[in-house]
Amino acid sequence: MFGADLLILTLIILLLTSLKLILQPHPTKIPIKSRHVFITGGSSGIGLALAREAAAEGARVTILARDMKKLEQAKASIQVSTGTEVDIVSADVRDFHAVKTAVESAGEIDVLICNHGTFLPYEVENMEMKGIEDIIGVNLVGSFGLVKAALVGMKKRKDRRPVSIAFMSSQLGQVGIYGYTAYSASKFGLRGLAEALQQEVIADDIHVSLIFPPDTDPPGLAEEKKRRPQLTSIITASSGAMTADEVAKKTLNGIKSGSFSIHCNFEGVLLSIVTAGMSPQRSYLMAFVEFIFSGVIRFVAFCFLWTWYRSIEKWHAKRKRA
Amino acid sequence: MADINLSFLTLCILPILLLLFLKLIIRPHPVTIPIKSRHVFITGGSSGIGLALARQAAAEGARVTILARNPNKLEEAKASIRLSTGIDVTTVSADVCDFDAVKTAVESVDPIDVLVCNQGVFVAYELEKQEIKEVREMIDVNLVGSFNLVKAVLPGMKSRSDRKPVSIAFMSSQAGQVGIYGYTAYSASKFGLRGLAEALQQEVIADDIHVSLIFPPDTDTPGFAEENKKKPRLTSIIAGSSGAMQADEVAKKTLNGIKSGSFIVPCNFEGFLLAIATAGLSPQRSYLMAFVEVVSAGILRIAGLCFQWTWYGSIEKWHAQKKYLDICCSSTQESCLMD
Repeated sequence: MFGADLLILTLIILLLTSLKLILQPHPTKIPIKSRHVFITGGSSGIGLALAREAAAEGARVTILARDMKKLEQAKASIQVSTGTEVDIVSADVRDFHAVKTAVESAGEIDVLICNHGTFLPYEVENMEMKGIEDIIGVNLVGSFGLVKAALVGMKKRKDRRPVSIAFMSSQLGQVGIYGYTAYSASKFGLRGLAEALQQEVIADDIHVSLIFPPDTDPPGLAEEKKRRPQLTSIITASSGAMTADEVAKKTLNGIKSGSFSIHCNFEGVLLSIVTAGMSPQRSYLMAFVEFIFSGVIRFVAFCFLWTWYRSIEKWHAKRKRA
Repeated sequence: MADINLSFLTLCILPILLLLFLKLIIRPHPVTIPIKSRHVFITGGSSGIGLALARQAAAEGARVTILARNPNKLEEAKASIRLSTGIDVTTVSADVCDFDAVKTAVESVDPIDVLVCNQGVFVAYELEKQEIKEVREMIDVNLVGSFNLVKAVLPGMKSRSDRKPVSIAFMSSQAGQVGIYGYTAYSASKFGLRGLAEALQQEVIADDIHVSLIFPPDTDTPGFAEENKKKPRLTSIIAGSSGAMQADEVAKKTLNGIKSGSFIVPCNFEGFLLAIATAGLSPQRSYLMAFVEVVSAGILRIAGLCFQWTWYGSIEKWHAQKKYLDICCSSTQESCLMD
């Protein structure tokens, strides 16, 4: 009896030690105080909250967006709440040359946060191709442009401390949901980019992070909720919403600890564990948790899939009767 | 004594209970999708995996249409299939990036029962060296092109008179399960297909339309030969972890996967392990596979982390070697070619 317990304890310690030894890339810390944080989509929502948080923590902040007026308002708002001035630069992330100019004018970037994004919840058959192209063009291709523009400076930087490239994904970038074909496609795509990119830039002490917030409370959400297909609302009710400030806090903490996958709430932890897949994990404790719980959470996932597909069945049956 | 019996009983009964429970809750339900005498529409069908798919589907009695851009290659493919199977396939020329052309092409043929979005371009290159134009092209052809096809085909599928189950399949890649050095754009486009597929399955299940994602490894095709010439060395080292396959083998696994309505279709053993490790929140129609996933997810996560350890090790070594050679070369002032 006692022997079995001791054996299990020994195995656990062996596993934890092995994980600590093999985990690649190694854990890292990325300071942001007095460093340059560049945030796209920074004039509202999560981006604005991020800019405010980072400024309050002593970072030099630049926010990028398309609309100059909204940028001015954001700058004023941050000035009022933190007493700090942020730099603003206007560009459309789909325009690579504009992005390059904007990035070069901002100076060396230590933390790049690709937070810009657009979404439209519609069944694919009800969406215009233009809407789909916009979502993929902005969310995914736009991020490629930003990374390409920032990488040059990051690789040649004089301050050789670790730097970060972070992508604002979504829980919809961990699971595809009714009504979100284009949005999920763009956010899943960010993960392919991030996993490959981390391998390409690790040698320059550049660290990649993906943030997976749930439904957040930014201004876009109220608009979006009005137009959402009913089934989308039913299914996404499974995960609770958060405020932009809460997401911003989790984001910055995750970036500072160099985590590859950054979850924002409890459902997010479960999602991250079950969708860990082949992504890097820098924390040996998290790796251990993933090992222990992957199977259980895959089982829980089947239960969720059951409720979702049942909702879809029921909804269609109701419609047929009506 | 009683303790051991109890533990033994639990160990035997628990798996059986789990299997039974999974059989009850698995959604969407399992399905079989016949292809004999049905219309299979294959994009990128004039070469490589697409051509092999067309040949095999035709040999199994399906009515086949192949779509590609180049009419000459389409004619060659048609002749080649006629030679090996005696069957005539329909050919239609269009660029998947052009929605109107795709719509016209789709409307010019019979209602489609199995759509295989197999078109794809791939150029492996470090992102900092790759032209943004090339990145855009990969995402346009591989991802947006697939959206064009789905949007063009869906109305017909939803209003079809033959109400047997139909299929929409996407040719992904193992690079769509794990991002690899040199594949930022390609992996992004293939990961994107999965987001599309998971959401799409929820949107079309009510019309008995079934979505499949196929994940082949490196496959011996003309496209692959082209890509190999320019691939970064590190990409070859890392991607070499998974064995290559022949187009015919991949085509066989693809058709079998589509016919059994599987959401995720792996093509070889490494692919099977990858599929379990990256199952995430994707649907699983086989309760046996679901059981395997639940039981082995944890250990496969560890295996995945071990692979990351070897890959990052290779990356470190390569960079160390490069630095050493750079220093040597600059001191001897000869030009060294880093492999």
